[in-house]
Amino acid sequence: MEFNTREESGGKVVVIDAPNRLDVGVADAFKVRINELVDQGNCRVVIDLEHTEFMDSSGLGSLVSRIAVTRSKQGDVRLVAPSPFVANLLEITHLNQVFKFFDDTESAVKSFE
Amino acid sequence: MKAANQRVSEKYMPGHHLPEPDYDRPIFEIPEGLRNSILDKLIFLYGEEDAGACFDELERIMKVYHAHKCPEMIEWEKQFHPADRFTEKDVVLITYGDMIQGEGQLPLEILADFSEKYLKGAINTLHILPFFPYSSDRGFSVVDFEEVDPSLGTWEDIENLKPNSKLMFDGVFNHISSKSRWFQEFLDGNPLFQEFFIVFSTKVAISEEHLSLIVRPRTSDLLSRFSTLNGRRLVWTTFSTDQIDLNFKSHNVFLKMVEILLTYVRRGSDIVRLDAVTYLWSELGTRCVHLEQTHVVIKLFRGILDAVAPNVGLITETNVPHEENMQYFGNGTDEAQMIYNFALPPLVLHTFQTGSSAHLTKWAASLPEISDTASYFNILDSHDGIGVMGAKGILADDEIEMMALRVLEHGGFISYKDNGDGSVSPYELNITWYSALNREDSHETTGFKIKRFLATRSIALVMMGVPGIYLHGLFGSKNDADAVLDDGQTRSINRRTIDRDSLYRTLNDGETTPCRVLRRFAEMIEKRIREKAFHPNATQRVLDLSDSVFALTRTSVDGKESILCITNVTAEKLKLDLEKELPGLKGGVYLDILSGRSIGYSGATLSLELQPYDVIWLRCGENS
Repeated sequence: MEFNTREESGGKVVVIDAPNRLDVGVADAFKVRINELVDQGNCRVVIDLEHTEFMDSSGLGSLVSRIAVTRSKQGDVRLVAPSPFVANLLEITHLNQVFKFFDDTESAVKSFE
Repeated sequence: MKAANQRVSEKYMPGHHLPEPDYDRPIFEIPEGLRNSILDKLIFLYGEEDAGACFDELERIMKVYHAHKCPEMIEWEKQFHPADRFTEKDVVLITYGDMIQGEGQLPLEILADFSEKYLKGAINTLHILPFFPYSSDRGFSVVDFEEVDPSLGTWEDIENLKPNSKLMFDGVFNHISSKSRWFQEFLDGNPLFQEFFIVFSTKVAISEEHLSLIVRPRTSDLLSRFSTLNGRRLVWTTFSTDQIDLNFKSHNVFLKMVEILLTYVRRGSDIVRLDAVTYLWSELGTRCVHLEQTHVVIKLFRGILDAVAPNVGLITETNVPHEENMQYFGNGTDEAQMIYNFALPPLVLHTFQTGSSAHLTKWAASLPEISDTASYFNILDSHDGIGVMGAKGILADDEIEMMALRVLEHGGFISYKDNGDGSVSPYELNITWYSALNREDSHETTGFKIKRFLATRSIALVMMGVPGIYLHGLFGSKNDADAVLDDGQTRSINRRTIDRDSLYRTLNDGETTPCRVLRRFAEMIEKRIREKAFHPNATQRVLDLSDSVFALTRTSVDGKESILCITNVTAEKLKLDLEKELPGLKGGVYLDILSGRSIGYSGATLSLELQPYDVIWLRCGENS
């Protein structure tokens, strides 16, 4: 499965678009892709959730699968535009205390500057 | 009554009581020294005016309890020595009463069956988490302290667990359910219950300054609004709107709780866990935690039990920084006989996450022996997840933060506490112990993951104190993240209810992870409980051999037996050269009681080769 990814800020930040449904069917592949990006040295990651309407526990797990690694390298994983459904999941699981949220990818990318 | 006595005597065991009081035999008299001690404490709590009446009622409650003791028990107690309350044979299983469920049996009957089938010879104490009717917080919002939740079973089912196990009950004395009769009576304006709770008419009754002082374990509002017959009221709720704090400033509340404490003893409790006791007494203008009055209440409970039920111990549950937690031992003989060693789980987790035992070793070396009647309760996991407050001041804040983030990577969650200044910080890590150590998506073999898991468990088994194991830790359960989303509680990740039949099938199939974990864990425990050097109060010396291992020696109370315990906390092979001057080592050949291997000195050096996560328990001393 392919996920749209692009480099921003001259390659200092990588943006990945999350799929419409981030559930058990795709979460593993999404996690693998994030892990690849981080393992390649990208420790500033923006996940764009604008089009993600549904998420389950596997999807949540993919968002945090490299959170410690990125932060230990002075990077971070930051989220863009979670839907009310996703925002509710993040609140239930207290992940809203972990992540920084942005309205659009541009401001998320800028936040790393 | 005589006939009843005879029936009881035929099946007597320590802790068994008469169903009805026997007032024909001499009535209990409080010894003079204890009388004065109790009275002094009651005067401190309730003032000269109320203390006398409170004492009289307390004495009556103690007399009634004592009249329920069977003659054999009174005789047995004459031989009982408090230093024998806990021994190396004590290993506690922590479980909800209904964690295993199945057709045709009530959950408490299943627990008895499970205990007989799988725990015999390894685990001798059951901590059954609150089994009373409740309205929320998985049992910790008790509706009726004196009833067994009928969906779990009956008091008889509880008592039926006794032949094989000691029992530990929860004394959830800090608060009561908003659905309880006591609170309903308060709402209904019954004057007898108005003083049972901490009530304000308006929020401004607590100044901002006072409010900011109060230590909060939750981010919910401290005061909850209720409509009563007498108008709207704000009620003190430390944990949730459904959990109403009891007002121990009322001596009637204190007396009620003593009555309930002794009811639990009468129903077979060998250990009473004082839940959330940190918050028992509240006083505006203070932090409302660890107040002197709280310690005095615990001392009163201890004094009462020492007088009428000396075999029963108290354990305090105070998930706070280590130094504050230690206060609950009192002087070592007058408060809790055990405290939860809350620093241990986060320190062990941090050790295995980082492959360095430096913090764990330094902290363990600083642990004092308390007294011959008090010790530590060494858990790694519980129904509440892994508390991090105990590691505050031992691990730096950024180390705690990183540990918590790694837990997220392993599929767990973080619970936060309100710091009172608008910020929050991690309070507890919600994850099963097995998943905290092992990533589901890693390429390691199951055998390797189990070995890492057991290496961590060995540390809690060898340290000074009594080990406690949560049911899901007994067979290495993995996270139940879906349950978190289903019921909106991050703690649900570690509280999966298990189907009896599928559990038994799994535990009888030697290929499954739970079966492999349970068998090896039980073997380790069975070896542990045979060694006097693992008595809770056997001398402990922590050795700083290398950051890659955690090592200590334990020496039996009589000084005759010693065991050197070494755990490789890394995924690397190690070689250790031990010199003869280590405690207990005198040269010669020693037995590793876990593997059965003999290991001998070569010249002045004992060379040990440790595979990743290897554990050795080397018997030294006279019987080696």
